[in-house]
Formats: sequence, C-alpha cells, structure tokens
Amino acid sequence: MEEKKILEVEGLETSYDMIKALKGVSISAITGKLTCILGPNGAGKSTLLFTLAGILNPDRGKVIFEGEDITNQQTSNLVEKGLALVPENRLIFPHLTVQENLLAGAYARLAKEREIVEQDISEMYARFPVLKERSSQLGGTMSGGEQQMLAVARALMSKPKLLLMDEPSVGLAPLIVGEIFSIIKQLNEEGISIVLVEQNASKALEIGDYFYLLDQGKQIFGGSREAILKENIIKKAYLGESAG
Amino acid sequence: MGIGFIDILQSLIDGILFGSIYALIGLGFTLIFGAMEKLNMAYAASSIGGAYVGLGIATLFSLPLVLIFFIGPIAAGLLSILVYLVSFRLIPASNHLGSLMASIGALFFIDEVIIHETQGSPLTFPELGIFSEAYFMLGDLGFRGDLIFIMIFGLVSMGVIIYLLYYTRLGLATRAVSQQNIAARLCGIPIHATNISTFVLAGILGGFAGCLAAASVGVISPLLTIPITIKGLVAAVIGGLGSIRGAIIAGLLIGGVENFFLLVRGVNERDIYVFLLLFVFLVLRPNGLFGNEISRD
Ligand SMILES: Nc1ncnc2c1ncn2[C@@H]1O[C@H](COP(=O)(O)OP(=O)(O)O)[C@@H](O)[C@H]1O
Ligand SMILES: [Mg+2]
Repeated sequence: MEEKKILEVEGLETSYDMIKALKGVSISAITGKLTCILGPNGAGKSTLLFTLAGILNPDRGKVIFEGEDITNQQTSNLVEKGLALVPENRLIFPHLTVQENLLAGAYARLAKEREIVEQDISEMYARFPVLKERSSQLGGTMSGGEQQMLAVARALMSKPKLLLMDEPSVGLAPLIVGEIFSIIKQLNEEGISIVLVEQNASKALEIGDYFYLLDQGKQIFGGSREAILKENIIKKAYLGESAG
Repeated sequence: MGIGFIDILQSLIDGILFGSIYALIGLGFTLIFGAMEKLNMAYAASSIGGAYVGLGIATLFSLPLVLIFFIGPIAAGLLSILVYLVSFRLIPASNHLGSLMASIGALFFIDEVIIHETQGSPLTFPELGIFSEAYFMLGDLGFRGDLIFIMIFGLVSMGVIIYLLYYTRLGLATRAVSQQNIAARLCGIPIHATNISTFVLAGILGGFAGCLAAASVGVISPLLTIPITIKGLVAAVIGGLGSIRGAIIAGLLIGGVENFFLLVRGVNERDIYVFLLLFVFLVLRPNGLFGNEISRD
C-alpha cells in the first residue's frame, strides 16, 4: 500500500529576531489523512504553521507540498496551490460582514469566477447554518464559536487540498468543541488533508491518524495513534490529565 | 466700518466651498492611514507635484489646457507610487517613525525639485474656463462658479471613493488588509499590490485637488504644499483618522473657519485659528469626529 505525502517538512528552523522558535522540525502529512501536532505552550506549533503558510520565512530547512519545493514562497501563491491556514485566535475581519469575510477567503478566485464563488458561499451557508443567519452581521460581533466556524468557512472558500488548523477548539464551550471536531472529521472524510494543532489532546486522539509531539522547537515524537497511545511517558508529560 | 451678517454668511459660503479641496486632501490622508495606519506626509506635495507635471507637459506640447486636469492626476498617482516605494515599501512595516520621517523627506524633496525647476517663481495656472466667469446670486449672497465646480467635483470623487471601497474587489482587499493584515495574507490578498492601489487612488484624488486649488487661485507655487499639507492633515485628524465622512466634513469646516477669520481678523491671523481648532479637537475629542471608519465598517 503506497501512501502519498501531501506535505513534507525537513529540518525547519524559524526564529523571531533573537529567539529560535523552531530548531529543526521534520514532519510529513499523508494525503487524505488527519495529522495532529501536540505539545505544550510555546513549543513552536503556531510558528510551524505560520512558516508552512508563508507568513514567516525559515532560516533553514525545506517545505515540500505535493512534491514541489514551496519554501519561501508568497502566501498568495500557496493559497492558490491549495494550502490554507485557519490561524490561532481565528483572526476574523472584525468590521467586514460574515458574507464579506467569506468573499475575502475566495479573493484569488473573485476576479475570474465570481458566480462560482457565490455558489460556494451558498454551500458554506448550508454547511454552517449559523453563518447564513448572520450573513450581514459584522464578523467582530459574533460569539467565539461562530467566529471559529467563520474562520474555517473562510479558509474553505479558497478550496484547499491541505487545511492547516491552529487550536480551533481553544476557549470554546464543550458543546461547541464537539461540533468543531465533528466538522474537522467530516472535512477530512470529504478528502481534505488536515494538519491540526491541538491543546485538547484527548479530543485529538479521537479523530487523528498520525501524531507529532513538539517541545521547545523540536519534534520529539512522531507516529500513528497506536504508537502514541503506547508511549506512556509522553502521555503523562504532554497530554496532561485530560487524556483519558 | 462694521462687518454685516451677510458678509459673514458670504465668507462662510466661499470658505466651505473652497474647503472641498481640504476635504479631498484630508480624504487622501485618511485613506492611506486607514489602510496602513501610517501618515504619508508627502501626500499634498505629490498632489501639487502632479499638477506641475500636468501644467509642464501641456505647455511643452502645446496641448489643450483642459488636459492638465487629466495629466496632473495621473502624474500625481505615479508620484504616489514612488513615495510608497521609498517611504513605505523599503522601510520595515513595523517602523512607523521611519516611514513618517521618510515621507517628510519626500515632501521636501518634491518641493525642492519644483523650486529648482521653476527657479522659485510661481507659474500662471489656467483658471476653470467658463466656471471661473460664472457667478450666481441668491438674494444678497453670491456663489462663485469655480468654487461650485470644485465642490461638485469633490462630492463626486468622494462618491467614487466610497463606491470603490465598499462595492469592489479592490475595496474589499483594502478593508481586509487594514483590519487584519495576517488574515488578509492568509486569504491570498497581495498586501503590497493592495497598498500600491490605495496610494494610486489617493494620489489621483490629490492630483485633482492640486489642479483645482491652483486653478481657483490662478497660480501654482511650491508655497502651496505646506499649507495644503497641514490643512489636509488637520481635516483628517479632526474628522478622525481613517474616517471618510469625517475628513469631508472637517475639510469643509476648516474652509469655513479660515475664511471667517480671514474676514474678521485678517490674513495674518487666519491660520492661527485653524490650528487652535486642531488643538481644541486634540484635547476634547482626540479621536476626531468619527474615529477610524475604514477599518471599522
Ligand atoms: N511574535 C513573536 N515574537 C517573538 N517571539 C515569539 C513570537 N511568537 C512566538 N514567539 C516565541 O516563539 C516560541 C514558540 O511560540 P509559538 O509558536 O507561538 O508556540 P505554540 O504555538 O506551540 O504555543 C515561544 O517561545 C514564543 O515565546
Ligand atoms: Mg500557538
């Protein structure tokens, strides 16, 4: 059985001025699978996703997307190639309406295929009915859960093949967390490859196929769900008490 | 010798009509501030510079003078791109003070080039043809045709700007970039191209304002840049940096206030009161009349 890798990261190093936040991270994501990245606060998870999305440039290392070296490419190119990030803290456009937030998500396609974009927005409303109700409301006036749905929908508007998600469940009520996770699961079943960064390790363990552990800018574990469940030390050290 | 009520009303009317020029320049400052949270101090200089280029090209090639009003704004738009590149693009985004200083440098650079090229003397600028001669009476009050033209032109340009911002793809990009820069990049919006478009748009607007200002006075001189820079800036600040409505209303207000004080206190004291108005606002209403609108709704 041959498994294609949609994403391969080799020896990635990224720093902020003085601080080296990634000190050589090598991970990969298999096409169609859900890859989870776990690790304590400050481990470098968000830095990794920002580097993959072209927001930060690495000092060293390589990022390969669908066999092509995309290291240091502009974010706008990456979005057109099919890579999208749902960032930490959602980063909704607070003074754009829900509808305009979604249009912005499809920015690259807006000039050429406005009508298809309109259709995609209708599909997005069918998938997230709460967004339809609020379509003319300003993004910043919505609740945390609604903003998270909007952030996911906005990223989906670029028709990604690989969706990177940074802690989509953080700060949300348990009921909403469940809803977000079932959306992630469903998107993955529909064929979108996903790299999910999560604090909520027990939830991640329920839906993930592959797992990486990051700590202090280094990757200290990588493997399947079976493998990570066997690693008791890792479980105690990094998954905390919430891991069942 | 007393100043009658009609005189005061008349001076307010003339002032408010002329204030459309401050409103346009204030609008340009506010557009750029709304998009980048930075002041482009060279804005009025590139506007006047554009008017000079328009006049120069039209004179050089003996073109119909009305073409100045097309060439000038385009030249101002191109000058704005240069200002963007040297004062904003090449300076790290986080260095706000660096961009501010660089754009002040660009202001004086443009001014010095103009002074050098014109040996420091003002040039005659064509007036607004039939509009300059027209004059309407309404009871005891008179309305100058050129000022009415400037006002109407100003209102139309403001309408165009609002349309572009709220109903086009470029406007969506501009607002997205100003509200959440990282999210805008993640949506695939090209930040620099969007900023350049905003500069060009503001530049064209300024070029028109520069031509109108020169046409209403009948001469163009580098001495126009500093007062227009300052009054445009005061309009943007009093209106609330980033607020389109605010810049327009404050620009007209400043026009009225300065002309009123011109009447009652004379030309030497006129500007003192405009700056007093600025201080009153900075103390009592530091966010201006409307705060930041572009990145608000
Ligand atoms: N903008 C920044 N400037 C400077 N240091 C940062 C910045 N963002 C993150 N860091 C540092 O980089 C390291 C990794 O941070 P981050 O990638 O946000 O971790 P995580 O997402 O795993 O919590 C931390 O030490 C953090 O303090
Ligand atoms: Mg993080």
